[in-house]
Amino acid sequence: MFTEEIKAFRRLGFRHVLLQALNFATVIASGLMIWKGLGIITNSESPIVVVLSGSMEPAFYRGDLLFLTNPVSEQYKTGDITVYKIPGADIPIVHRVLETHDVPPKGRKAKEAGEPASQLMLTKGDNNYVDDLELYQGLQWLERKHIVGKVRGFLPYVGYVTIAMNDFPQLKYALLGVLGLLALLQRE
Amino acid sequence: MHSIFSRINNVSALLSSCTMALLAAIALSTLVFNADPKGDLAIASIKVYPGTTRRYAKTKQDLAFVNFNITADLTPLFHWNTKQLFLYLEAEYINAQGVKNDVVIWDRIVRRKEDANINVAGKNKYNFRELSASFKNVPPANYSLKYNVMPYVGYLTYGEIAKTVEPVAFPRSQPRV
Repeated sequence: MFTEEIKAFRRLGFRHVLLQALNFATVIASGLMIWKGLGIITNSESPIVVVLSGSMEPAFYRGDLLFLTNPVSEQYKTGDITVYKIPGADIPIVHRVLETHDVPPKGRKAKEAGEPASQLMLTKGDNNYVDDLELYQGLQWLERKHIVGKVRGFLPYVGYVTIAMNDFPQLKYALLGVLGLLALLQRE
Repeated sequence: MHSIFSRINNVSALLSSCTMALLAAIALSTLVFNADPKGDLAIASIKVYPGTTRRYAKTKQDLAFVNFNITADLTPLFHWNTKQLFLYLEAEYINAQGVKNDVVIWDRIVRRKEDANINVAGKNKYNFRELSASFKNVPPANYSLKYNVMPYVGYLTYGEIAKTVEPVAFPRSQPRV
């Protein structure tokens, strides 16, 4: 089955293999650069996330793609949809802000320095009956430091690929293997 | 050169770039629809009673109960890229300690254009409590009705439908009968 491929491989020689490997590395490196560049522009550690739960249905379903920003100068408002990550929990959560309480900085020094108010927030999933207090793992309020970003844009279904790859790891390895083989064997 | 594999590759590349271009066009087309409908919001009554909440089950605290009337025609917000509207009524006030509070007390998801003619006489869905546990000496609050248009693809947009003309004062807490 693979005899022809192996023959082709022999004919092309070592330099060609190196060139293909270099091409492959360029693709991966530019992907990483785009991802990190987006992270810097949006000030968010992960500017694109995949919805993993159904708690925001019917707006967001599992596998939908969300685009986030986290502007430094802006406070969060009620009605914003945020993605937050509580320390200790490994999955980021997408829920809507239900309450904000902007507590002014304490002490004269902080006030004169013009420090922004520290924000206490409470969130709730549109499809849930109660707010997220139980999800905060003992915290009373959500704070700015827990928030990854605010949802700005929406693209349905596309993220389902990553969910499928997480649910069936074999798929991930098969896909990676096929891509790698193709990159090495393809003739220009 | 013209193996079946390269043909599949070309066709799927063309298909996916066409889909992406179409999705981008749909997302951009929503910039044309910039309807910003207005409506009416009236606070019928506010009462403050002592009570307990899930969050602070053991402390005595004030809870506000707000009755309101909303009328608004939101059908202009429904266009080909509107998946649903999220409506929310919020109270905004700054308390004596200088804390700025925005609290959503009611919300509704509107999924069809036929349901977008809103006429609601309702009361708050969520607990309305003050951070300091008491509404005593809390200045009057403004109430506003806002919306969030959630698209099939593209940007999320926000707007305000109605706002109370004058801030509404919190009454004195009264014992439950």
